[in-house]
Amino acid sequence: MEFKTPEELRYTKDHEWISSDGDVITIGITDFAQSQLGDIVFVELPEVGTTVENNSPFGVVESIKSVSDLIAPVSGEIVEVNTDLDNAPEQCNSAPFKAWMIKIRCSNLDELDSLLSAQDYLPLCQEN
Amino acid sequence: MSKEQLTLLHKNHLALGAKMAPFAGFMMPLQYSTIKQEVEAVRNNAGIFDVGHMGEFEVVGPDAYAFVDYLITNNFLTAGDLKAVYSPLCREDGTIIDDLIAYKVDFDHVLLCVNAANIEKDWEWITSQQKGFNCVLKNSSNNYSLIALQGPNSEQLLNKLNLMPTGEFEHYSVRKLLWNGEEIIVARTGYTGEEGVELFAQGQAICQIWDKLIKLNVTPCGLIARDVLRLEAGFSLYGNELTDELTPLDCGLKWTVRGEKGRFIGKESLCDSQYTPRYRQIRLALERGVPRTSYPVVNSSEAEVGVVTSGTLSPTLGRGIALASIPREKFSISESYAIKIRDKIYPATRYKKPFITGGYKPWNSKPQKS
Repeated sequence: MEFKTPEELRYTKDHEWISSDGDVITIGITDFAQSQLGDIVFVELPEVGTTVENNSPFGVVESIKSVSDLIAPVSGEIVEVNTDLDNAPEQCNSAPFKAWMIKIRCSNLDELDSLLSAQDYLPLCQEN
Repeated sequence: MSKEQLTLLHKNHLALGAKMAPFAGFMMPLQYSTIKQEVEAVRNNAGIFDVGHMGEFEVVGPDAYAFVDYLITNNFLTAGDLKAVYSPLCREDGTIIDDLIAYKVDFDHVLLCVNAANIEKDWEWITSQQKGFNCVLKNSSNNYSLIALQGPNSEQLLNKLNLMPTGEFEHYSVRKLLWNGEEIIVARTGYTGEEGVELFAQGQAICQIWDKLIKLNVTPCGLIARDVLRLEAGFSLYGNELTDELTPLDCGLKWTVRGEKGRFIGKESLCDSQYTPRYRQIRLALERGVPRTSYPVVNSSEAEVGVVTSGTLSPTLGRGIALASIPREKFSISESYAIKIRDKIYPATRYKKPFITGGYKPWNSKPQKS
């Protein structure tokens, strides 16, 4: 199966994509992640103003029969949340790279260095 | 190499691209397409499930009916000829060893269908109780294949495949028939709340029937869809709602304990006037959020009073649904309940009936007289 990994984005081993604009980054889950999860039925996101820690859970994505943590790829403050996903979580399946979840203002820009390129991420999209 | 047993249909599952996983000692299909598609197929059309992991015991002889009636809490003797009976299998103290369906396949032949995870435990128990009954017990679990055809189009599909027994064929009935020279046990039972049958056979016929149904565009469904469907229909699952520690009266199965019948194992405990159940089972549906096993149930004062035993998002209702257990002393009929999910309270509505209620029409292959 072919999974989309747009070149302009960065990725994590937890199957999230990241786009950055200055010190604000946008986070969503990848095509591979949505495919593995199946029908996404619920997304739980934190409130604007919450601070998150690098490598710690910031929210939850649920399919019919599974619950998965969303992991913050960087530390910082949440500046925007995609509340559309509240009523339309299925957007994560139909358009994973448009269905962004949160925007974080990074407190340590060095953390961005550990993010993966599309080329480095693609080999992690292995079905087991 | 995995040490799990394979069902006769293993290659068929691989050919269909199923996601396989070990379950109760068997390699079983979890899903083929998406859970939603599989659930919708069963609710609106038809789906087939390989449930070959389930255990089958045969009880044969003049005392077959009497022995089964003694083993189970539900009334087996008063069920009509060629009928099936759902029942818990209990110990003397009333605790549940397993739940099963007992089929009156013939006047001296009962087929017991038990949970895969409990085959050894059940067999040990049942064989230990047989003294004084003139019948022979056989564990045929490794000989029988079992598939379930479920959904509103099942009747039409059975007719198409020449698998419809002649005459009236009611819900919870069973028939033996010959199909391509092989004996098939056709039972109008299932675990989805839809019209349908379960087909037991000892030879290769099950694979031929499976292939024919796939060619007729019947949706193959995995164990995950099966679990979602049974929860929508409000059916209990051994290991979740029913356990070794609980009695049928603790988990919403009072209707299966028939004090009016003769002696049966567990009668003294379960039908004692002093006996009070410890738990009350309730059904909850959420406006938002998805309940899962072991999430706390809270009352209107936000005190934790119970626990979710099974939960899922119901694709049919588009809502989170749950079966939950509340200790009797903490239960009140007028109380409103909610479910705590990751420390947030999600309000719930109590369902007095199963989330999905289907009607089971009698099937009759005889032409209707006008």
